[in-house]
This record gives sequence, C-alpha cells and structure tokens, in this order.
Amino acid sequence: MSPIDKKRLADFQVIAQWVEPGERVLDLGCGRGVLLEYLKQKKSIYGVGVDIDFDKILSCVKRSVPAYQGDARTILATFPDGAFDRVIFSRTVEQLDDAGTILAEGLRVGKQVTVGFVNKGFWVNRLCTLFKGRRVINEVYPKPWYETQPTNSFSVNEFEEYCNARKLVIENRAFLAGDWRSECSVFPNLLAGYAIYDLSSID
Amino acid sequence: MNDSEQAPIISEEGEVGFVEYQDFVSKEPFKFVSGGKLPELTLRYETYGHLNATKDNAILICHALSGDHHCAGVHGIEERKQGWWNFMVGPGKPIDTTRYFVICSNVLGGCQGSTGPGSINPQTGKAYKLDFPKLTVQDMVKAQSLLIEDFGIDRLHAVIGGSMGGMQTLQWAIDFPERLGRYIALASGARHTAQAIAFNDTGRQAIIADPAWKQGDYDPEHGPDQGLAVARMMAHITYLSDVGMESKFGRKRRSGDESKEHFDVEFEVESYLRYQGASFVSRFDANTYLYLTKALDRFDLHSPESLDATLSAVTSPGLVIGFTSDWLYPPHGNREVVEALLRLGKDATYAELAMDFGHDSFLVRAPKLYELIHRFLTR
Repeated sequence: MSPIDKKRLADFQVIAQWVEPGERVLDLGCGRGVLLEYLKQKKSIYGVGVDIDFDKILSCVKRSVPAYQGDARTILATFPDGAFDRVIFSRTVEQLDDAGTILAEGLRVGKQVTVGFVNKGFWVNRLCTLFKGRRVINEVYPKPWYETQPTNSFSVNEFEEYCNARKLVIENRAFLAGDWRSECSVFPNLLAGYAIYDLSSID
Repeated sequence: MNDSEQAPIISEEGEVGFVEYQDFVSKEPFKFVSGGKLPELTLRYETYGHLNATKDNAILICHALSGDHHCAGVHGIEERKQGWWNFMVGPGKPIDTTRYFVICSNVLGGCQGSTGPGSINPQTGKAYKLDFPKLTVQDMVKAQSLLIEDFGIDRLHAVIGGSMGGMQTLQWAIDFPERLGRYIALASGARHTAQAIAFNDTGRQAIIADPAWKQGDYDPEHGPDQGLAVARMMAHITYLSDVGMESKFGRKRRSGDESKEHFDVEFEVESYLRYQGASFVSRFDANTYLYLTKALDRFDLHSPESLDATLSAVTSPGLVIGFTSDWLYPPHGNREVVEALLRLGKDATYAELAMDFGHDSFLVRAPKLYELIHRFLTR
C-alpha cells in the first residue's frame, strides 16, 4: 500500500466510527469505491458512489459497489429530501464549482453530511509559502500546478466560518495531524493536516 | 489506478466456432398483454457453452430490432457470417462460453424463425400478417421465459441486451425479478423520446405507402422492398453519429464514378446506406418491422403510474450503460433508469462510455466495454 493510500485509510476509520450500521450512504466523488466497500463490510450500509470518471466506476463495479457515473449536482437533484442518512464528500469539496450550493444540496438529500478535507492552514503549507514562496509538493499534492485541476482548498477556520454563517450544526469533528494518523487535539487550524466534519441542518 | 486494476483481464480468446440454431415449440396457446392469442409458439434460438448440473450458469442475450438469435459463431463453411455480438461472446471473451451457457433467441414477432406476422397460423393454414396480435416488449419477454423454463433453468445468471434488447432486459428485471441474478442494459432507456417515435413512424410510413405492402397482405417474395429499404436507411442513420459518419465517409465519392443520371450514387455514404437498405430487405420482413417498431414506441416504464413504481419490482443488481454519442437513446434516458433505481435503494450502476459510433456503439469492440461487462458478470 502506498503512503497516500495509508493516509486515505485514516479518513475511512474516522468516518466509519460516525456511520451507524445499516445507514444509506451517498459518496460524492467516490473514486474507486474503497470507502464504500469498507463501510459495507464494517457497517452493512447501503452505499452509492458517484464519480465523473469511467475508470473509477469500473473499479466500483469490481468491488460490487453501486455507482453512478456523472456529476454530483445532477444526481443530487434527482433525489428527494432526506433520501440518504449521510452524504459524504471525502476530498471532493475542493474540486467543486460553487461548493456551497452543492453542500446545501447534500444537506437536503442527506440527513447528515460528512466532509473530509486537507487543511490549507496546516503549518507545513504555510511555511512553504512563507519561506520558499511556492506551494507545497508532497504525497498529498504530488503534482506541480500545471498538471493538476483547479483546486479550491480552504482551512479549518474557513470551513467553520462557512458552517456558522449557514447556521449548520457541527455534530462531530475530527482532526488528524500531518501524518493523517495520529489525532490532533490543539490548534487544528495550524496543526491539523486533515479535518473531518459531520454536519446537519438545524431544521 | 494501481497495477492490479490495470492488468489485462482477458489473455486468451477463442471462438465459439460452428453453431446451429434450434427451435423451441410451445403447443400451449400464448396470450399477449393486449389480450390477443396465438394457438402455439415457436422461438428460434442458439446456445453456446454448456449448461452446468445446477443450471445456474445461463446468460440470456436479447437482440436489437434488426438482430436475431445468431449472436456468435458461424453457421458453416459456406455461411461464414459471424454472429452480431461475436466479439463479446466466446471462450475467454467477456461473456465467456467456457463459464456460461449463453442463450439468444429471435424475438416473438420476429422474422428469423420465431413466430411472427409472416408465420403460418396453424388454425387457418395462412400467414398471420396483420392478424398477428398487438405486440409489446412484455410479450417478447414472456415468450423468452417459456424457453428458459423449458431448459429447466430457475434462475439466469444474467440477462443482457442492447437497444431493444436493453428494453427487454429491463422488462425481465421487472417481470421476473426472482429469475435473474443480474442484468445489463446497454444503449436503452425507460421509453422512446418523441424524436425516436418520429423516426420510427417515418419508417413505418415508407413501408405503408409502398403499394406492394397491400395492407400487409403481400406475397413474401414481392413485399414492399422499396419502403422497407428506405425505412432501414433512415433508421440506420439514427444508429450512427455525425462524427462517426464524418470520419467513416466524409464527402468521399465512389471511385471512378461517372454518374450518368442526376441521382445515381455519387457519395460513399449513399452507397453505404443503399447497400444497408438492400441487404436488410433480403433478410427482414416488412410486417415484422412494423410490429417491432410499434412495440418499441409503446414501451414506457413511466406508465401506468411512474418510473419508480414500475422499477420497484426489481430485486437483482443491474448495470446500465449509456454512450455519449448515442442520440437515439441518449445518455440521459439511460441515466434516468439508474437514478430511479437508486432512489428506490436498489443495487444499480450507471456507466457511460465516450465512443463516437452513436447508438451502435454497443456493437463495437472496445476494451473499456469489454472490461466493464466482464467485471460485472464476474463480480
């Protein structure tokens, strides 16, 4: 398993703790369906993955994970309110146009929304910008700017501001240190490499 | 993608080789959804591979409008035309005949050996022609289910089909949920668009307006060939795509063409379509064309109540495949089926292939399609 795959597993373990057995889960930006396969094994969920890429859907088929090739916005619009217990955005929000609207749609379709993201405020990222004047290249961001898609990254504080402004209830939060394994308990905006939130609407 | 996911799936491929068709005859009266009846019924079919002792390795393939039961192999030394899905069916191919027992039957209402408008009614000694009952996709599927029962198969490993075959596949999943393990519908949808109905009716009118049609009462040797050829030419355009036609034909002219008449074949695409029309006439019956296209136009999973209500009967996992360049059964019509299945909490997958061959993409050998079908069948 590559270091980045190990990192991804950390995310899974936190989410798996929050998922109740038998939940209906929609994973937007599901990739190869590994998270849903994991949740299916651990929590007997009914999970549906959504991804825009054919090869990812192919991998979901191999894992017996139901999957929908298409756009998150399109599929969300086809579901009635509360169709899922949980809508997961695991490293997906950064890739979305007009992320706030899609998160709101996620909260309509899901009773809860789980968001996992790489913390832009993490000190290593800051130092890199401060001292080298360039963005960080590491296993999380392996490619230079000219080989990647536009990414709308944000920090823990920025995300919490969004939640407050929209009056979203933060049911759970978890922060992982730079290795994405050990827990990070203080100054998450500075010290957390990865953040995971469980949200719900007030009504 | 990691290495294990990129590794080739299929190393050795073989051919099913020589095949022969069989006829299944049911002497019981067959009742149509419309209430019409046939005193007896014949379905012509082919099989490839072997049915195992537990009879749980059978796959039913449903063919498209102009297809038939001959989907793989060749009929003999003289008749070397390969079946219409030969690249998909055979030893080591996605529908692997070393693992599965594959059945493909000519549809009810067809003209390649199964009972259709051109068949003789044993009660009158004359062909049914327009006395053949009003036909639906449900009737086609019900007839196939009799054949499957005759094999003693309680549960099919899978039902697979493209286009009209995809609609039959969805109908199987709805009408006989406990009798299939999974299903794959390619280039299909829940119902025809207005555009699809419009094209079909224009084709039907070409046949009906041909004086040789004679209200359906033509001598099979002297049928409405002109009308049927035009219907086929026009329909064939809807199976291709703008991009596909452009790259295949462009404005290429026939080599050495010195047209003496104003309207002789001048462009390659004309020559191709006229050939398609002429060869179709030699193997297809005009009345069958009318019946089958009408059955397709009537097919509507949104009716009688809603798409969700119709699909609520489905229990088995399904895979629906759309093709980006298919403008006859466009991707959104395919997606809509999966969206409804997912709303209902079913196990369903939608995959979309970027291919330039229009509706007929499902008949084109493509590694990604190969891999998708192989994986879904073996998962």
